[in-house]
Amino acid sequence: MFNNLIFIILFMLGFYALVIKTNLIKNVIGLNLMEAAVFFWVISFSDIGGKVSIHKLGEEVTKFNDPVPQALTLTGIVIGASTAALLLTLIIELNKFSGTIDRDQLEGLND
Amino acid sequence: MDIKILFLILVPLGTAFLIPFIDLINAKLRRFFVLLGILLESYLIISIIINNYQSLKSGDFFLQYYLGGWQPPIGISLAMDALSLVFAVITALSLFLIVIYSIGYIGHHEGKYYVLYFLIAAASMGAILTADMFNIYVFIEMLTITSGALIGFKRSQEASAAAIKYLIYNVLAGLLFFLGVLLIYFNLGTLNMADISQHFASLESGIQLFITAIFLTAILIKMGVFPFLFWLPKSYDTAPSPVTAVLSGVLSKVYLYIFIRIFWTVIGFKTLEALNLNILLLDLALFSSFLGHLFALQSDNIKRLLGYSSIGHIGMITAVIMLNTEAGFYGGILHIISHMFMKAGLFVACGYLLQYTRSHAYRDFKGVGIRNRSVFVAFIALLLSMIGMPPLLGFASKWYVLMAFLEARSYFGAFIVIFGSLTAVIYYLRYIAKGFEEIKLTEDDLKEEIYSRPLLSVLYREKIVSFITYAYTAIIIGFGLGFRFFDLPLRMSIESVMNVERYIELVLGG
Repeated sequence: MFNNLIFIILFMLGFYALVIKTNLIKNVIGLNLMEAAVFFWVISFSDIGGKVSIHKLGEEVTKFNDPVPQALTLTGIVIGASTAALLLTLIIELNKFSGTIDRDQLEGLND
Repeated sequence: MDIKILFLILVPLGTAFLIPFIDLINAKLRRFFVLLGILLESYLIISIIINNYQSLKSGDFFLQYYLGGWQPPIGISLAMDALSLVFAVITALSLFLIVIYSIGYIGHHEGKYYVLYFLIAAASMGAILTADMFNIYVFIEMLTITSGALIGFKRSQEASAAAIKYLIYNVLAGLLFFLGVLLIYFNLGTLNMADISQHFASLESGIQLFITAIFLTAILIKMGVFPFLFWLPKSYDTAPSPVTAVLSGVLSKVYLYIFIRIFWTVIGFKTLEALNLNILLLDLALFSSFLGHLFALQSDNIKRLLGYSSIGHIGMITAVIMLNTEAGFYGGILHIISHMFMKAGLFVACGYLLQYTRSHAYRDFKGVGIRNRSVFVAFIALLLSMIGMPPLLGFASKWYVLMAFLEARSYFGAFIVIFGSLTAVIYYLRYIAKGFEEIKLTEDDLKEEIYSRPLLSVLYREKIVSFITYAYTAIIIGFGLGFRFFDLPLRMSIESVMNVERYIELVLGG
């Protein structure tokens, strides 16, 4: 249950940063926090207290963790990193043209 | 086993990775390779149709390829049934026409543009062909990143702001999709779509509701249906015209395909009915359509207006599909096809005509029709098709949608179809009238105009761009007269949507 609590706290923190804060970089941080919360929850939920799923020859394996959610999360992390990189690039670009990265000051973003 | 459907994804992917190297060697060869890639893709599609013509006619068309040789449900497989074939054909045709248009349109940073374009091609083909839930997520995210980069392609303040907004909404949707896929995996222990479909009904109804709601939110954000439509008009407005044509002609249709696949094949319409979500979704989609047409009525910007009209049409298609009748699917898929050609053609024509104006605003549209009469006539034909004027393709598809609503006794839906057409008459005729207004051009104006439009400065590029506009108009008129041509593919795709058991049997057993 502890992992669910951390998931909810992290997710809500991210959502808060995404919706309430007007600084675009803080928005991106919020988005990444939400992603991190989901990935954390997936990994902790799939951990059933077993072994890492790598077999050695002659070893008796009784209980091991499912590797599929870990693989899927790895893909998710890669995708999250690339979207964050693209968003930050676009924010730098926006700052070059308008001189601000505040959502409220950019009339272009709010209409 | 047919390796051709794997190459449908690999060819554009390979072209995308090849183009930077070609640029290093000799930038003049780039266009040759772009054309080669897209022609190879078209050849693959055509050869799939020709080789399987017999099974297409008899109605048991199905192709599958096991990646790495692992059988489903353990391995990932690519599956192509009639519905995927219809979507793959129209997507490939749109991508083909728009890439030729781009050769005439895109002036600067051409190499980067084609890399992103072919990644979009690969991702949309992948999303259409795959039979694995997680693959759909990966391809959706590929579409989001590449299209986000293309929306910000103009490198201006508006373009960057629109791209940031687009990305924030769509990344959030992707995150929800990821959560949904993982929840399915934790509950059922499988990611294969057919395998999930077999066991989904055995879950508790609370979990079913949660998973369905997550997928619904994610896909509604991606499609731009009512509560989540606010990113759409701005990104349609600021993206370069070929990119807008891709956004409305390819991306929104791929998302519609994913919507049909997930809610009919994977989750199943019976589950939606049991959870009482179908009525809610029908009303949401109709309201979204209503709202789109209302916003379009007050819009003073031609590209943004077309974006709002897209919201209206996508809402209408979603609603008519949600009726879950054969007539509904017939009208819905026919309207997907016709809207794909009409909207992409309109953005293509718009991209040409807006070269003559300073901005996209209504007042600057003055006299555009006089500057280039033939393209403007094609533009008018496409607008009339959007309104639903016989004998154009838009009339045929709207007629079937209207009949489907009347057959299901959904009179609000029928009202929305007619309301959409009537408001479209008002907001399109305004622009047609403005385009024919007389303007006096001085010598200085013409000089300034020549310098202000660097993209169309070369004569042959101008010819390519106007040729594609005529091609779209010819498609609209030709298929409008012979819309019966779509009868067989539509019936086949309805069969493959409705008959879920057969899909499961073919994917798992084939």
